[in-house]
Amino acid sequence: MQIRTTNAHVRDAAYAMPAALFMALLFALPLFSVLHQSLQQENGGGLTIQAYAKIFTTPLFLRVAYTTLEVSISATVFSLLLAYPIAYFLAKQSPRRRALYMILVLVPFWTSSLVKSFSFMVLLGQSGIINQMLGAFGIAPVKMLFNRFGVMVGMSHFLIPFFVFPILTSLRSQPLELAKAAAIMGAGKLRIFLRVTLPLSLPGVMAGALLVFILSLGFYIIPALLGGRQDMMFANLVDFYTREALNWPMASAVAVLLVAAAALAAMLLSKVRGGSSILSEEGH
Amino acid sequence: METRISGWRIALGAVVTVILAFLLLPSLITAVISFGSSNQIVFPPTGFSLNLFRRFFAEEGWVASTWLSFRVAIWSTLLALFLGIPAAYALTRGSFPGRKILALFLLSPVMVPHVAVALALYIYFTEIRLTNGELRLVFAHAIATLPFVVVTASAGLRHIDPALERAATVMGASRLTVLRRVTLPLLTPSIIASGLFAFLISFDEVVISWFVARAGDTTLPIKMFSSIQFEVSPVLAAISTMLTALSIVVCVIVATVQKEARSD
Repeated sequence: MQIRTTNAHVRDAAYAMPAALFMALLFALPLFSVLHQSLQQENGGGLTIQAYAKIFTTPLFLRVAYTTLEVSISATVFSLLLAYPIAYFLAKQSPRRRALYMILVLVPFWTSSLVKSFSFMVLLGQSGIINQMLGAFGIAPVKMLFNRFGVMVGMSHFLIPFFVFPILTSLRSQPLELAKAAAIMGAGKLRIFLRVTLPLSLPGVMAGALLVFILSLGFYIIPALLGGRQDMMFANLVDFYTREALNWPMASAVAVLLVAAAALAAMLLSKVRGGSSILSEEGH
Repeated sequence: METRISGWRIALGAVVTVILAFLLLPSLITAVISFGSSNQIVFPPTGFSLNLFRRFFAEEGWVASTWLSFRVAIWSTLLALFLGIPAAYALTRGSFPGRKILALFLLSPVMVPHVAVALALYIYFTEIRLTNGELRLVFAHAIATLPFVVVTASAGLRHIDPALERAATVMGASRLTVLRRVTLPLLTPSIIASGLFAFLISFDEVVISWFVARAGDTTLPIKMFSSIQFEVSPVLAAISTMLTALSIVVCVIVATVQKEARSD
């Protein structure tokens, strides 16, 4: 019997072996070589923490770290404010209509970030559509591109759908009777929302916030295209050290710190109620 | 009471409309521009024409990049399906020690920032001297798409009643026959969905490709990325429209396939 179970284990696991092997060779091992690279001396030799020591005394890195945190936190807050009403609205619809409105959230979700960035350049540029419209009213052009504003608009646009899904899940898991009971007892709509619906949806908000924050930390395209020089984030710094400074140990050290930050947030996410389901249902 | 309810509704409706407009209008405006008759970016367009689309197909560089992206997307999708579907089967139907850790490992590329994966593969491919540019892209994209295939296929497998498989086994079908004649046919909608998602992710992938691709191998997103940086060509409006249309088509097919599967 014991042998049979062991055989069954091996047979079951065998189906996952090609994927596991592929991931070990082309994902785990390369990430390990980044860690190894980050511990290299710039001119060869043994292992050292030189790159890390250097990084924490480089003004460029400290500035980028600050920007990355600042941008990620504000983008998380902005996209929460924009995602919550949509999730709330979707939760109120009949399943049929919800599926229909859901498409309006899914299409931007699946739209390439390059298409989004290009569209925002057309809209927000110095002679872009919005400034053309303002000009028609005699208003001088406003700078909305290649600065923090452009980055915020682009990132929030990208992140809203990621935030809608966990909030919607948590809103839909609330028993309808709760709101009804509150209404029977005389609570108005706003009161029901503030005292019943909102508090009960906080786990979804927490899970969504962590997910969106993790995604924000790694943004590359949007800061590169819609931001200015001062909006450089971690990912852009990795690119800078790899391509322009040709300093692999420094690029690797930044990447290791970025992965560590994301892993920390992911660990928090798995502790949050509803967070573990996000980790396994990302593709929906 | 009545007025308060409708007041709440109207306020919510207004807010949601504005946010949805923010989500949808940028791509929509770009689409309108792409059909304009001018060779520049003008809104509202002065007339209707397919000039920008014609320019896209006339310029060799754009067409070549599109073909490269298409080939890479096809091969990486096939690779991700070949690896991911059996893995999903093992994770949902099998029981073996370390199953949870294996699941976490296979899904982990989603949680690791793409730029780290990009740098990792850039260094690693250099170290192991993998010089075939297309193969580099196919491997890299398969890593990015594998988690989506595993998740979508696992969700599909969880919806298939194991009793059906057990019934076939009781009636004497071998494990492989059950897999081939019962499980896989029932899983077809999920396989199609995950394949389409994987294709779309690969076709749109920028960051990893930007690091991993060699000088000659310019995928469509890489070419778009450098084009947006250095000269905002109006042809980009036409490309954006086509990419958005592709996303919509994929969403609609997936929605239809999965709806049919559920109503069966």
